[in-house]
Amino acid sequence: MILLLAPLIAIAVIGGAALLLRSQKGGQRELVGSVVEPAANHHQMPSVLYFTGEACTICHTAQRPALRSLAATLDPGIEIRQIDIAVEPELARQYRVMSLPTTIVLDSAGQVTDINVGFATAEVLRRQLVEAGMPVAA
Amino acid sequence: MISDMAIVAFDRSVLKVNQAILMTVIVIGYVVGLAYHPIAWALPVLAVMMLAAVASPSLNVPRLLYLRWLKPAGIVKPRVVQEDPAPHRFAQLVGGVFLAAASVFVITGLLLVAWVLAWIVAALAFLNFAFNICVGCIMYAQLVRIGLLPLSRQPAR
Repeated sequence: MILLLAPLIAIAVIGGAALLLRSQKGGQRELVGSVVEPAANHHQMPSVLYFTGEACTICHTAQRPALRSLAATLDPGIEIRQIDIAVEPELARQYRVMSLPTTIVLDSAGQVTDINVGFATAEVLRRQLVEAGMPVAA
Repeated sequence: MISDMAIVAFDRSVLKVNQAILMTVIVIGYVVGLAYHPIAWALPVLAVMMLAAVASPSLNVPRLLYLRWLKPAGIVKPRVVQEDPAPHRFAQLVGGVFLAAASVFVITGLLLVAWVLAWIVAALAFLNFAFNICVGCIMYAQLVRIGLLPLSRQPAR
């Protein structure tokens, strides 16, 4: 019944590959770079948490450009904080982020008002920020 | 800026159905295969299913199953997200290649190797199904990063 070993060998192969990758990536865990510098008064304004990761293609090719274009139109007091889940896994766990990209809109009290799993357009995020209490420009 | 990229409305439930089929067939096939070895011929069938799904949506059996039965019956709810489906297609291709390799070992009689490869596919499908960890997508991103795969859209500016 040598076939009984098949699942164990498969799990060992996957585990070994994961450990190998983890050890190789150990020295590369720096932030990709903040989209927008955190504002000092983020507790008084809505904000966006942007969860990303090095291996997330859509984050780099779509979500980040969308956040850049959004940030260019926002009040400087609105914070868009980029979070690399490899660097801040505890924050990802806290917000139960299971997929990348994920953007989370917080109101001025820091309460979650919207969660976008997958790509979110600048327009969607802007609307959610307004719903979270962001002042609408005159 | 966004419209020139391959970002489309994409129903993740199709992937979930595909992963569920893979896990179910491989696990049941393996258990049955402990006593009845010819059941390993299910692996070439799965390989064809996976590779056909990559080749054309009209040949994607899990997608057809989902669209024609599971979704209308309300058994599986849609989970539409805006994203590029290319990494997921690549992940399916990787799964198909693993199962094709397993099929070769079925043909040559090396059932242990065949089932090891199948279990790797099942385990990765489980990771994606349960935790949305798409190992094939990570491979895709790395291959794009080092230039071995072209990005099928204009780069972000």
